[in-house]
Amino acid sequence: MKHITLALLTIAIAATLNAAPLKVVTTIQDLASLTKEVGGDRVDVTAIARGYQDPHFVEPKPSFLLLLRNAQLLEVVGLELEIGWLPPLLDQSRNANIRPGTNGYLDLSHGVEILDRPAVVNRSMGDVHPMGNPHYWLDPANAVRIAIQIQQRLAELRPADAPFFAQRLNDFKLRINEANKRWLAEMAPYKGAKVVTYHNSWPNFARHFGLNVVGYVEPKPGVPPSPSHTFELIKMMKEQHVKVIAMEPYFDTKAPKSIANAVGGQVVILYPSAGGAKSGTDDYFQTIDTNIRSLIGALK
Amino acid sequence: MTARGHRMLLPLAVLFAAAPLLAQTNDERIKQLEQRLDTLSQQVNDIRQELNQLRGTPPVPPPAATEDLTKVETVPSAPQPAAPAAAPSLTDVQTVNNVVNPGAAKVFNPDTSVIGNFLGRAGQTNRYEFPGSERPAMKLDEAEVGFQAFVDPYAKANFFISVTPEGAEVEEGYAQFIALPADLTAKAGKFKALFGKANTWHTHVRPWVDQPLVIHNLFGDEQFHGDGISVSKLFPNAFAVTEGTVEVFQGDTPDVFEHQAPNDLTYNGHLKLFKDISENSNIEVGGSYARGTIPAGHSSFGGVDVTYRWKPLEQGLYRGVIARFEGIVNRRDDADSRLRGFYTSLDYQLGQRWFTGVRLDSSDEAPQLAALEPGARDRGLSATLTFWPSEFSQLRGQLRRTRYGDVKAVNELLLQLQFSIGAHGAHSF
Repeated sequence: MKHITLALLTIAIAATLNAAPLKVVTTIQDLASLTKEVGGDRVDVTAIARGYQDPHFVEPKPSFLLLLRNAQLLEVVGLELEIGWLPPLLDQSRNANIRPGTNGYLDLSHGVEILDRPAVVNRSMGDVHPMGNPHYWLDPANAVRIAIQIQQRLAELRPADAPFFAQRLNDFKLRINEANKRWLAEMAPYKGAKVVTYHNSWPNFARHFGLNVVGYVEPKPGVPPSPSHTFELIKMMKEQHVKVIAMEPYFDTKAPKSIANAVGGQVVILYPSAGGAKSGTDDYFQTIDTNIRSLIGALK
Repeated sequence: MTARGHRMLLPLAVLFAAAPLLAQTNDERIKQLEQRLDTLSQQVNDIRQELNQLRGTPPVPPPAATEDLTKVETVPSAPQPAAPAAAPSLTDVQTVNNVVNPGAAKVFNPDTSVIGNFLGRAGQTNRYEFPGSERPAMKLDEAEVGFQAFVDPYAKANFFISVTPEGAEVEEGYAQFIALPADLTAKAGKFKALFGKANTWHTHVRPWVDQPLVIHNLFGDEQFHGDGISVSKLFPNAFAVTEGTVEVFQGDTPDVFEHQAPNDLTYNGHLKLFKDISENSNIEVGGSYARGTIPAGHSSFGGVDVTYRWKPLEQGLYRGVIARFEGIVNRRDDADSRLRGFYTSLDYQLGQRWFTGVRLDSSDEAPQLAALEPGARDRGLSATLTFWPSEFSQLRGQLRRTRYGDVKAVNELLLQLQFSIGAHGAHSF
């Protein structure tokens, strides 16, 4: 009788543990949003970097250690986006199950389309990512590729919930496909429109929606605008009749605004990540929606 | 029509009769050329794909205008070998053209970095900071060479070699065990003791050109370090992130501890509490205690450190404040009174690349000097201005006024250029 009770107790505990949502930590909020799309209530997702924060520069605070210590899955953007802050956190997390090479570590750059892979790279070129541009999630097709990878990994970690994750992935694909048709239709009149961006964060977004990024406020990635570069940029924008400067919410608006004034254009804030604004960027769909609305408003 | 006319018509008739034939020949030729062009285009595409595969770069097709996202699939990061046929005949087996990557073995090379520390000085000559070896007007003070890599699934190795005009020395070299159970991490080798905050910093991490007086006087410029073992444990709780560390060193640290018997060891303990006050601010409080032997008996150190940080996330690239306080007390068996010292500092980020700060110092003199002149105390006030041309270089000026004991104060301008190459792993918070 004792053995039966013990066995039943063990099964009950195991069932309870398995029924608890999988603890997922993501480095940025977009990955958290896409994980919620696929995982639903079977995952408990937390993002480290806020959407209104530059994901290159996150302070590796000890409070993040506790998040990582308890995580069952860590999802990263990869391509060295998090190299300045994630490695020391991982080293101190006391969680060997989320280290690179384990099932608990998912680098989503492995299954997406990567742009801007430099053939030659050195630091005289600025803060260039040697393995390619890490802002790939801003292409909705890559959002699907991210969701597929998340679904595959969640199914590996929770085989019993695999059909649930597969169903949610299919639902997500249908919804984002419909949204994408709408987004492309809305952006169609502006296909080929020339814009300047602050940082090179938008190649995937621009490619998907047919924008033509002709210059950057930063003279080189990570280098603040200099007077000579600003002068050249103004000259180029005037010659090519470029009126829109798109920038992230965490950069200083002073230089972009003065450039926009000089060319009779305007600055538009685009959100490179979900959660980038207090409202209108709650999830991936809203973020792209808001960005497209803002862009169209500026390009009209 | 004359005979001459007939002679002229004949070639024309032949020409007209041949025209369809010629046209037919031209059409065929064009078709052939088109086919040839298609074949060549296909071959160029094949070669391009092969090149991409060799480079490890998956081809990036241009997006369709109305891309059907339900059909999107993940992009393989490396080409996968084709699955074997169900029942392959071994008579059909061909050789496999494996791509040889001569650089593949290099992935196991450690991350390597070099950080140069070039110093300059102006102002009054300071005969008291390093008696007998005053700071020269300019000097490449140190090149820190770093090597960091995983040893195996359980440990990482970190080596930092300090190359100075006096020679090369392993500043730190230790294995860091990161896969231990029970919320533990450990390290073994030579490393800086986790005593307070300033004692643990490498030169390039310090927010000042020099060491605070209390570190310089009580631990020396090489700081409290040694060969030993360190074990840290995280104590999860709802109040604050709590981490305790216990360290044991062989008992020799120049100017700090000196073992008298082979089994004389130095012990150090540190408790850290970290709490987020808000999304933008946090506070860290630490307590440290160390004890070891000296020729006259024992020497023990107690310390407390407090760090407050404010960094608004949205403006984090441009603004930030760090306020620090660290106090240390030293009790030695060969002295009647305790030696005490502290520093407190405030650093403010002015812009994306500009930082400024002030530091107030007060410390009893080093034990050797304190024995000659009991009660003598050094005091200092510094102001810094730092410019970062990039993440990988920084230029700093520090105006420093120091009064050594009762001696007249010394006013100096210290200048520092730090520059790094290679991959230097990020430091802990």
